[in-house]
Amino acid sequence: MIKFYEKRKIFFAISLVIMLIGIISMFVNGVNLSIQFKGGAIIKYTFTGDLDTEAVADLSSSVLNRDTEVQITEDIATKTKKIALNLSGNSGLDASEQDKLDSAIKAEFKDANLQLSESNVVQPFIGKKFMTNGLIAIALSAIFIILYVGFRFKKISGVSAGVIGLIALLHDCLIVFFTFTFFKIPINDSFIAVTLTIIGYSINDTIVIYDRIRENAPLYAKKPYEELINDSINQTLSRSINTSIATTASILIVCIFAYVYNIDSIKTFAFPMLLGIISGCYSTVCLAGPMMVMWHKIKEKKAA
Amino acid sequence: MRINKNMYIVVILLIIGIALIAFFGIHAGPIQIKGMQDIRFGIDIRGGVEAVYEPKDLDRLPTDAELESARLIMETRMDAQNILDREITIDKNNGQILIRFPWKSGETDFNPQAAIAELGETARLTFRDPQGNILVEGKDVKESVVQIDSKTNQPVVTLVFNDEGKQLFADATEKLIGQRISIYMDEIMISSPVVNEKIPNGEAIISNMGSVEEAKDLSDKINSGALPFSLVTKNHSTITPTLGSGALDVMVKAGALAFAFVCLYMLFYYKLLGAVACFALLLQVTVQLLALSIPQITLTLPGIAGIILSIGMGVDANVIISERIKEELRDGKSLGSSIDAGYHKAFSAVFDGNITCIGTSIILMIFGTGSMLSFAYTLMVGCILNFVSGVTASRIITKSLSKNDVFRKKSLYVKLKEAK
Repeated sequence: MIKFYEKRKIFFAISLVIMLIGIISMFVNGVNLSIQFKGGAIIKYTFTGDLDTEAVADLSSSVLNRDTEVQITEDIATKTKKIALNLSGNSGLDASEQDKLDSAIKAEFKDANLQLSESNVVQPFIGKKFMTNGLIAIALSAIFIILYVGFRFKKISGVSAGVIGLIALLHDCLIVFFTFTFFKIPINDSFIAVTLTIIGYSINDTIVIYDRIRENAPLYAKKPYEELINDSINQTLSRSINTSIATTASILIVCIFAYVYNIDSIKTFAFPMLLGIISGCYSTVCLAGPMMVMWHKIKEKKAA
Repeated sequence: MRINKNMYIVVILLIIGIALIAFFGIHAGPIQIKGMQDIRFGIDIRGGVEAVYEPKDLDRLPTDAELESARLIMETRMDAQNILDREITIDKNNGQILIRFPWKSGETDFNPQAAIAELGETARLTFRDPQGNILVEGKDVKESVVQIDSKTNQPVVTLVFNDEGKQLFADATEKLIGQRISIYMDEIMISSPVVNEKIPNGEAIISNMGSVEEAKDLSDKINSGALPFSLVTKNHSTITPTLGSGALDVMVKAGALAFAFVCLYMLFYYKLLGAVACFALLLQVTVQLLALSIPQITLTLPGIAGIILSIGMGVDANVIISERIKEELRDGKSLGSSIDAGYHKAFSAVFDGNITCIGTSIILMIFGTGSMLSFAYTLMVGCILNFVSGVTASRIITKSLSKNDVFRKKSLYVKLKEAK
């Protein structure tokens, strides 16, 4: 039996420290939007042998009349080398211009056996629309969930259940967001997908505990409120742990595969999801429960 | 429904049957069910090209008819390049055309950026004599419409030329009586009617159309030759098939391993109830795959995220139920009433959790764009399935199993020292 309410200060402190680190990372590293959202152009090639990044950058800048940043990455599992050309500025790139660049660098670096791997060219206004739609979807889902939780758990004080659920959600979304800023992952459409997934998991965790509280409430009418909350959390603890182990391990497997095979689209997705799921479980068990008790105590004091 | 002691065999066989269909599909004459091999993958998975085109140097929004003409030009060009598996969407509000098509593996000499640029170029419509000399150009065509010939009752395509075209066309038809005059879009021949007589008034009729659709198609193509702008795209992405299929391979391997881990964990922790959970999860995953393959809904990487999330919810439903049954057993209740109480008490939590997920996915379907839609779809289907597989199917199996003496030992459900 773990006394979650009594240990609340430890949990709150842990969360605050993580939030603080996150905020600092945000100011130090900045919020880096991916070109999917802010617009821009990235073109990636696979190659063999050696390439001089500066020579590639110079050639690209002179062909397109636009500064270019060049980076080389290597895949751990397959040993494939890739060169990424990141064009400065937020505007897109005409397909025929890209074709010019393509012919020019293939002609200049013949021996490198350059093959187009992927290209991503986004106009700023299209990226902006994409991001706005994603954020609207996140905000509306959060509102829907709070209203639904408030309605379904009227018995255990709908307002507090809804608001505390929202705080837990916000906590988990921030953890996901700070994962992006701390590890300097550009914020892209995976961010929207992960945030929505975490909202789903986190609220599901919260609902399971609320459900227990709702069920236990009549039996605990004469006992202290904190006992109701502590017992309810403990009764559902093995469920919380088992579900978390199963889901965390699954995502961890996906994450490891993505890193070994160096697949960016999955990496930027699985890793923040992993931390989000852990946070989702933690915030419900260690934060939401104690906050319910605190809310109740404040109300009692006011009534008295 | 009365659940008898043999029903679990029926349900399990049914689940295995569905799983086999999902893995292999059914290809038996008239009965064709597409299995997981036939799932349509988004270009982020299988590789391909996606581009948003807009009119070049046009200071107004293009009209619907202009966009339609532009679409036709692209369709014709892609037909000519044998790119058949494509999506072309017109966004009338923003005056944009969105295209997506896969990049087939093996096409090593394919140059995506050149292909993207070419697709948007102004179409050049020409009328040529049998030797290939250009007689009249598309800009000289005023309009083309489909009519029904009052005598033969057959659809025909009419052409009206402007003043310049009228003269050129009169000269051309005079020379070519009895021969063919061919209409080309770029270098693709779209029609080749025989000239019956000289046409001096600039109004021609092409007959011998197979159907109204065919006539409409030709007429639209002729009109597109008069489109006053070209299309450019500054918003496009390409992914090679090798990179794409690499991502898919990794996801499939990781997914299979994760599924195996979850099953082993459930078996270890919940024993017989864990085995039931494995079948319930198998049912959920395979029906989810069928829900993608049968209606041919495009699956993207975020879509796979939706599957993972809903499987997680499925695991959770099984965990909640199993925990509840164990609790009841520990309280000393009989097996039958523990199972009933377990499912009954667990239902509200499973219900609320999944309903919120379904609600979220509906919101996402309304506001999401592009690859988000795939996420919303798989998540919604998965959460609905949670009720069918995680609650109903697993309850039937568990209940039916518990009526067999072999499966009545409490030690199959909880550790002995836990049971009172």
